Amino acid sequence: MKRFLKSFAATSAIALCFAVSSIAPANAQSKDELVWGDTLPSGLDPHVVYDVYMQTFMLNTYDGLYRYLGNPIELVPWLATSHEVSDDGMTWTFNLRQDATFHDGSPLTADDVVYSFKRLLEIGRGPSGALAPVLKPENITKVDDSTVQFLLNEPYAPFLATLPLVSIVNQELVTANEVNGDNGTAWLASNEAGSGAYIFDPDTYVPQEKVDLKRNKTHFYGWSDNADPIDVVRAYPVKETSTRVLALMRDDIQATDGYLPPDQVAKIDSTDGVSVRRDESMRVMVIRMNNSKPPFDNINFRKCVSYAFQYDGFINVVLKGLVSRNSGPIPNNLWGVPEDATGYTYDPDAAKKYCDKAREEGAPLDRTLEIHIQSELDQTTQAAQLLQQGLSEYGVNVELVASTWASLTSSTGSAESSPDMWVHWVSTYFVDPENWIGQMYDSSFHGTWKASSWYKNAKVDELLRQGRKETDRNKRNAAYGEAYKIIVDEAADLWIYNTIALRGVSDRLTGIKFSPVGSGAEFRWMSLAD
Amino acid sequence: MLIFRKLLQDVPAVIGLLILIFATLIAIFPELLVDNLVAANRGNILLRLQPPGVDHWFGTDDLGRDLFARVVLGTRSAIIMAVVVVLAAMVIGVPLGLVAGYFDGVVSGFIMRVTDVVLAVPQLILAIAIAQILGKGQESAMIALAATYWPFFTRTVYSEARRVRSQLFIEALEGLGASRFRIMAFHILPNVAAPVLIRATVGMGFTILTAAVLGFLGVGATPPSPDWGLAISEGRKYLPEFWWYATFPGLAILLLVLGFNLLGDGLRDLVDPKLRRSR
Amino acid sequence: MLRFIIIRLLLLIPVLLGLLLMTFVLLGLAEGDPAAAIAGDNATPEQIQRIREELGIDKPVIAQFGAYVVNVVQGDFGVSAYSNRAVGADIAQRLPATLELTFVSLLIAAVLGIGFGTLAALWRNSVFDYLVRIVSVAGLAMASFWIAIMLQLLFSMQLDLLPLRGRLPSGMEAPAVLTGSYLLDSLLTGRIDAFVQSLRHILLPALTISLGGIATIARFTRSAVVTTLQTEYTTYEEAAGFPRRRIVFPYALRNSLVTPVTQIGLLFGAFISSAVAVEAVFDWPGIGSYLVQAIFNSDFQAVLAVTLVIGAVYGLVNIAVDLAHALLDRRVAERL
Repeated sequence: MKRFLKSFAATSAIALCFAVSSIAPANAQSKDELVWGDTLPSGLDPHVVYDVYMQTFMLNTYDGLYRYLGNPIELVPWLATSHEVSDDGMTWTFNLRQDATFHDGSPLTADDVVYSFKRLLEIGRGPSGALAPVLKPENITKVDDSTVQFLLNEPYAPFLATLPLVSIVNQELVTANEVNGDNGTAWLASNEAGSGAYIFDPDTYVPQEKVDLKRNKTHFYGWSDNADPIDVVRAYPVKETSTRVLALMRDDIQATDGYLPPDQVAKIDSTDGVSVRRDESMRVMVIRMNNSKPPFDNINFRKCVSYAFQYDGFINVVLKGLVSRNSGPIPNNLWGVPEDATGYTYDPDAAKKYCDKAREEGAPLDRTLEIHIQSELDQTTQAAQLLQQGLSEYGVNVELVASTWASLTSSTGSAESSPDMWVHWVSTYFVDPENWIGQMYDSSFHGTWKASSWYKNAKVDELLRQGRKETDRNKRNAAYGEAYKIIVDEAADLWIYNTIALRGVSDRLTGIKFSPVGSGAEFRWMSLAD
Repeated sequence: MLIFRKLLQDVPAVIGLLILIFATLIAIFPELLVDNLVAANRGNILLRLQPPGVDHWFGTDDLGRDLFARVVLGTRSAIIMAVVVVLAAMVIGVPLGLVAGYFDGVVSGFIMRVTDVVLAVPQLILAIAIAQILGKGQESAMIALAATYWPFFTRTVYSEARRVRSQLFIEALEGLGASRFRIMAFHILPNVAAPVLIRATVGMGFTILTAAVLGFLGVGATPPSPDWGLAISEGRKYLPEFWWYATFPGLAILLLVLGFNLLGDGLRDLVDPKLRRSR
Repeated sequence: MLRFIIIRLLLLIPVLLGLLLMTFVLLGLAEGDPAAAIAGDNATPEQIQRIREELGIDKPVIAQFGAYVVNVVQGDFGVSAYSNRAVGADIAQRLPATLELTFVSLLIAAVLGIGFGTLAALWRNSVFDYLVRIVSVAGLAMASFWIAIMLQLLFSMQLDLLPLRGRLPSGMEAPAVLTGSYLLDSLLTGRIDAFVQSLRHILLPALTISLGGIATIARFTRSAVVTTLQTEYTTYEEAAGFPRRRIVFPYALRNSLVTPVTQIGLLFGAFISSAVAVEAVFDWPGIGSYLVQAIFNSDFQAVLAVTLVIGAVYGLVNIAVDLAHALLDRRVAERL
């Protein structure tokens, strides 16, 4: 290898390179400029795009009525000062703060709040999925300049938890940029109309490549709790993992993404000036099984699969113990998980027993089963190959199919087109068991990627709907707990682990406040030393 | 056999030939180099990412599989890929080129216009799109590559056929009442065989490279295939610490493609004196 | 000459139309359905169906194609269903980066290729000749994305000589946009710092891409120079006592350049192809990384537009190559 490189470098190439590289790099970062190496969202409209990366942009440039902070996570009033809810759990009234202003200086009022929720529902994309079933646009009303009221179609306990999903946009600015009644979506895809702690600089924006954010000195929250805030954040995503790690070590960037491969962690930790933050998040890795397709409709076969996966090997060796085992469909650090919850372990004898049983019952185990992976995400490949190895012991033939998020989520529209198995994570969008167990196993969500196991159990449906309607936390807890046990007992899917966010950061960067929502990407508390 | 003897005097071409013979051998009989073929597909996860050493000549990958065994096994898929794609492209491209070159008129014009359209975009760009549409996997990558490579044969055969057609002996044959099929198959085809052969040799090397790019971009072979491009794509995430993972599959590509190129070069020299290297 | 250019440009149109039709039909066959991806991570089935209707995916393919061609002729490539941005604007923003990379690669390949080829011809059958031949064939045999990674490993990670990624250091302001090429723009606006930095940043990716081309150009140059040197008039000149240097440079090289130049058109296509993977490795914000992104997101509008734009650029470059060919060779010019 070395010799090859040497002989290669001996060609004229090296002469050219040296000639230019002898000029010293002028790469000194200024003190108040943070270069943030995480991925950018596919578009910038907070009512259209809705993915993990969008949360960084949303949390920094927009505000919502409520906001998630800290770990363990807490839901705190943000643009709202307080709220009341009627006894039937259907009418919600919010009082707004008076001192919030948008980046163009205009005040943020109840009109903007009403407009933002209506716009979200009208566009019908992004985060609206959590609200659309219970909220009609006409039932959002302004009571006075600082009061907004929502009338839900039915009681919906997670309502408050979904509020941070909805960014409040500047009505005047967005409507001024409407084209052919598009609700301003074309304009807002590359612009910003928020009130958040940082201001987007449209001139610097190259989609997926870079964007600069500047500090909003007049944000309502004030800057009193950060003596040395960062004035300019350059979001400059590095696409390749190895490049990203090196860029961090060379101080080209001061923070990587939040999902570093565990194999890169030791390397970073042993390098001076950089380290990897470990924060327990809420993001559960799942291997989905299409319960509607033989042989997965056989409970014994599903149990066989559940016992055939090397959970400990995967977690402790492949992932170097940098995640925590999560054996059911609710993150362990959230409420709703029953105290006496048990899960599956790697148990070859049990797996063999259940596979034999399934065979006796006539389940077609000879069919080659497909497991779909997301080729750009290594862990999906590794987990799938481990499962493939495990199942081959019992004569079950599994084939890996490389796919992408886009094509997987579009195939989950019907039970027939849904893959036999596929690997993915369920991240935090709103912090409520509804975000995981509720939307994953209630049969009314069939057709969405989250419910792609096509699991159907009348009792579970009832419990989950009860959990959704009930406002009393204890009763909700009990309902989710019972559903959890049934689903685990019926081995609907394989739940692998709950993520520990691994973000490589420069030692110069301090003040990161981690929260499972946004993965600690709120810039307002950060400082950058020289 | 004079040609063959001449080829043997060309040292680089012989090296290329030897590489190809060696690669074909281990593609058919990988046991010759690897005692434990199972280790290529089933790793010990406790031994993942081991550096190259006595037990694992090329080290191990992220699932603890022996990289040397996987690189050896990857030879088979690379060669199958190359041969199938180029043969399929020949089967489509050569007859079309013959027809277009021998006849005039609408059909000929249509064939060449379609060829122009396919050639209007670099092969890889089109192949990525086709492979993506067909769904991922080695088969769709093969179809995509064959579907975008045939015009090269059509072009080559077309211009050669045009040249041959204008020669006197074809006119003579036509005058004697030989059938068109007969003329194409027995008189024109042998005359275009040499450029087609060279194109095929170089094309196989080229196909391996393009297939590797597809594997690298995630639209080619799928795990757990020991495909080289895929291995580099998986291995790059472990750089720079676990450098062997991405390095050895790349060297394997280099060696095999070098084999095809050296041989192709040698053949070209034999056939086309204008490009003859040593004078 | 002008007539030649016009005819060639007109001939490009049906080819591009055919290309558009082909990619369109292909993508119509695709199973991928962007609606789910667009709907986002929390969508209900109703939302997905609504988006599908909005996108017009349920309309017949021919109707969609007709509408698309009409728009393209008007210069509108549509809106990316994925990012909601105008595809034309995205491409316009990214195309210069790819063109800059490709042309710098061509320049490196041409300079090194012609240089090596000429020297190899002059010193033919020497060690140098063999070395050039082996290195150049090896250059053709290397997977560009792999060599990209290896160069990063050597020059950025081990030796720490050159930057890893991007077009400029993250904090540096880009030069004012005149041509879209940072190298040219920084020179034109007198930004020497930006020029040096963009040169440093472009070196590794451009070198990576050019490797395959050096081989081809060197080979053709070598054989062309060998042929020229053996023609009667060089023998005559030599006999007349011209120094060898005077023969090689003005006469032989000019006559020998014709073949390598015709190769550049073909190389351009190869270079655009390697740019797709190389841009991803070096985070080069060009059209190649955009295409890869678009394919992964089933972003049909973007894939169609990129394919068409690359086809058009490729066609134009080949016309330009024919013109250069004519400038070098009078006989070709007369035929135009």
